[in-house]
Amino acid sequence: MKYIKSIFPLALAIIWTYALHNSWGTLPPLGKLMSPFHGFWVNAEAPESAELSEENLQIPGLEKTVTVVYDEMGIPHVFAENDHDLYVAQGYLTAKDRLWQMEFQTHFAGGRISEIVGEKGMVSDQFQRRMGAVYGAEKSFEGMKEDPKATETLQAYSDGVNAYIESLTERNYPLEYKLLNYAPEKWTPIKSALFLKNMSFVLASGTDDLKMTNILRKYGKEVAENLFPNYPFVESPIIPVGTPRDFKSVPIPEGPSDFIGLGSAMKTPEKDPNIGSNNWAVSGNKTVSGLPILANDPHLTLSLPSIWYQMQLVAPGVNVYGSTMPGTPNVIVGFNKNVAWGVTNVGSDILDWYQVKFKDASKAEYWHDGKWKKTTMRIEKFNIKGKESFVDTIFFTHHGPVVYLSHEKPFKSNIPVGHALRWIAHEKSQELTTFYKLNRAANYADYAQALTYYSAPAQNFIFASNQGDIALWVNGKFPLKSYTQGKYLLDGTDPKADWTGFIPQSHNPHAKNPVRGFLSSANQSSVDPTYPYYMGWQYAPSERGRRINERLEAMSKVTMDSLRGLQNDNFNIRARTLLPLLLAKLKSPAGGVYGQAVNELARWNLQNAADSKGATIFENWVTLLHEAIWADDFSADENVPMNSPSMDRTIKMIQDEPQSAWWDNVKTKNKKESMEEIISGSFKASIDTLVKKHGPLGSEWFWYKHKQTGIRHLIPGMDALSRLNIPTGGGGTIVNATTMKTGPSWRMIVELSKEGRPKAHGVYPGGQSGNPGSTHYDDLIDSWAKGELRSLLYLEKPEDATGRLRKKIILSIKK
Amino acid sequence: MNNSLTFSYKLAIILVMVVIGVISGLYLPWYSLGILFALLAYILRIPKGIAFTLGLVSGFLLWAISAFWIDGQHPSSLPGRMAHLFPLGGSVVGLYIVTGVLGGLTGGLWAWAGANLRFNK
Repeated sequence: MKYIKSIFPLALAIIWTYALHNSWGTLPPLGKLMSPFHGFWVNAEAPESAELSEENLQIPGLEKTVTVVYDEMGIPHVFAENDHDLYVAQGYLTAKDRLWQMEFQTHFAGGRISEIVGEKGMVSDQFQRRMGAVYGAEKSFEGMKEDPKATETLQAYSDGVNAYIESLTERNYPLEYKLLNYAPEKWTPIKSALFLKNMSFVLASGTDDLKMTNILRKYGKEVAENLFPNYPFVESPIIPVGTPRDFKSVPIPEGPSDFIGLGSAMKTPEKDPNIGSNNWAVSGNKTVSGLPILANDPHLTLSLPSIWYQMQLVAPGVNVYGSTMPGTPNVIVGFNKNVAWGVTNVGSDILDWYQVKFKDASKAEYWHDGKWKKTTMRIEKFNIKGKESFVDTIFFTHHGPVVYLSHEKPFKSNIPVGHALRWIAHEKSQELTTFYKLNRAANYADYAQALTYYSAPAQNFIFASNQGDIALWVNGKFPLKSYTQGKYLLDGTDPKADWTGFIPQSHNPHAKNPVRGFLSSANQSSVDPTYPYYMGWQYAPSERGRRINERLEAMSKVTMDSLRGLQNDNFNIRARTLLPLLLAKLKSPAGGVYGQAVNELARWNLQNAADSKGATIFENWVTLLHEAIWADDFSADENVPMNSPSMDRTIKMIQDEPQSAWWDNVKTKNKKESMEEIISGSFKASIDTLVKKHGPLGSEWFWYKHKQTGIRHLIPGMDALSRLNIPTGGGGTIVNATTMKTGPSWRMIVELSKEGRPKAHGVYPGGQSGNPGSTHYDDLIDSWAKGELRSLLYLEKPEDATGRLRKKIILSIKK
Repeated sequence: MNNSLTFSYKLAIILVMVVIGVISGLYLPWYSLGILFALLAYILRIPKGIAFTLGLVSGFLLWAISAFWIDGQHPSSLPGRMAHLFPLGGSVVGLYIVTGVLGGLTGGLWAWAGANLRFNK
């Protein structure tokens, strides 16, 4: 009895401690996390003082001493004596601010989230690996290794990251490790390849082929081609119409015979993310300074820690400033003394699906070109937290991985089952070499040469130099296809449906110093229909591109500030065309809130400003109108996912086809709706939903309150580490492309100078630090939301007298 | 055994516990706090009846005051964010208290366990 009495409290204490030492479901390990000596309290960082502080750190692997100075935004300016040390320092310093993010994103990319969160991460992990993320990263890593400079860079970066990881003890792990209760692992160069491949997932994995085949099966080719035309009715292509071509095109493949695939049936809805970007360069004859100005704002899913990490990297032969991506060396979007460059995504079709005919259930052979051919297999092992590990086999045809077998349920509804995936992201590639060379480019020739190494995700690379050149290459590896090849699911047995080669890189669409004095891109069609090659049928809607081009056309005496204005332009060019059309047909109930809403629309200045009520009404109406026209025909059966026709096509129908059969709602059996009824009905419905959501028409209807832009932490549901309900205007088809979850992830404007330093301004929605306990976690968000830019500090040497430096770190060799 | 310790003796024990707690916190894992409190209770022959309370008070003071002190030294938005996460409606004072309670219960349970190991033989 006495024995039990003496042991009982001990047992209780042990159980209590065990409970607090481990995580339970989403509950973090409370003891570890709350201890003032070990937990989150340790991650609190006081704001730095205005005086320059100095620190010495020792790092293994350095060859010489590296000097780093941080400015008031917490941006490191790195001065190394050779390339090797420069990239060791880049890895080290990036990890110092962003280690958790780097690792989490590469875990995600590599399909390893279930190692952290357990079984619930499994479906997404399997999807990543079945899509060939790891396979693609390995291939691209092979490519990188062919360039000795890239190999050295990757290794040095990796050594730097590891030097930081090794300097940590559990108590100074980044906060998220403490919340999720795990430890950082060693960084390896292939993780950088995984990160770069993940950009193809983010930007170039959208696929409509299945939805298009479902339409083909239901309505036939004529309707499919009529409602989903291969070029927009209204467009302002990226390469100006009439740009002379400096190449003779190669023969186009004959292409496959017509094929109507099986399509497929499955559930789970999925939304296309609203991801796009803007960039432009204005030549000196339109600017006040007489030298080019370049602007770029890549739009991505807004998240914290910030997607980008600003740095200045200086070593013999390079002095570059710009945004880097945590996880990969070099500056991705930036400038040096002579040139500036930026990127937007290209919407070309570089992902196709081939219907596979297996010989039998073993899937060892498949039919192609009149023969049975052998599949290859790849084994993927998943280590699931709290569960036994799981081994998965992926079957490959010569096209690529069969992402889902016919009996499996896909992770996303746009992924067909029983099809092999042919995707540019599986090609061997050398993107790293491109950025290494761009960082050091001195003129147009250097830039053009750097681009020859780039594969995917294809980007519109905008360029300006202090020699006065502006240029834009629509650049990446593009499959050489027959017209519209790959718009629908392809026949995996037909060799003529295969990709047979690539458009020669020098034939990629490009323009240099056009007469109009500017170049721009906003994800719209790369070229006009006279371009000799087929690149894809569907690009981002033309609105942003048209607005940018019409503004740049009209602007003269351009300054950095007037371009800042254009980046924040909220004008709704779609409303300019569409609103008068709709108001002319609208038969609204008079008076009451409907009457007020019509008045509001009539006096709306067509600006999607944060405090606009007109924008809220218009955007909500257009969404419901589009649904009212097309949902009955294209979303009737959730088991057969289909695309809906674009707004471009819809506006065409409102303008020219008032009698079209598509106006009728086929769900109402005994009634044939007219265009006017659909327009008026959707207006009433949209006002009703707005009243329900926001009450009577008033300040609660402000666009920003309706749109609800939020910048969310990478851990889903982590609102305490997010910034929600940010007061900003804009919208998906607005130059200021800020939506609920996506928006400009980095805004940069650079004015080059002949002799002096380039002038640059930039901002991103977040801050330099990944630590929610640092003032630099989100200190740039307010500037970003207001449309302000911060002046970027371009130093020649670390001693440059400037009142903006806050901290100096000397990185010396650890023996 | 002696249950009627003087107030100053109790205070001295709390002080020793807090000092040991700070040192262990700086160099050892978080749960060393408990193990050391158990050892202290055992070695210092802290009576069973009072061990839990002394451990609780020491652990509470140690964690709550340390949290308060760190927050003063490194003012940041993090405690406020954590107070939303937990959820304490963003109250940082609430967070000091929760922190203190966790430290206190850990200290109290282990001190109680230590005292029981000695006095129940």
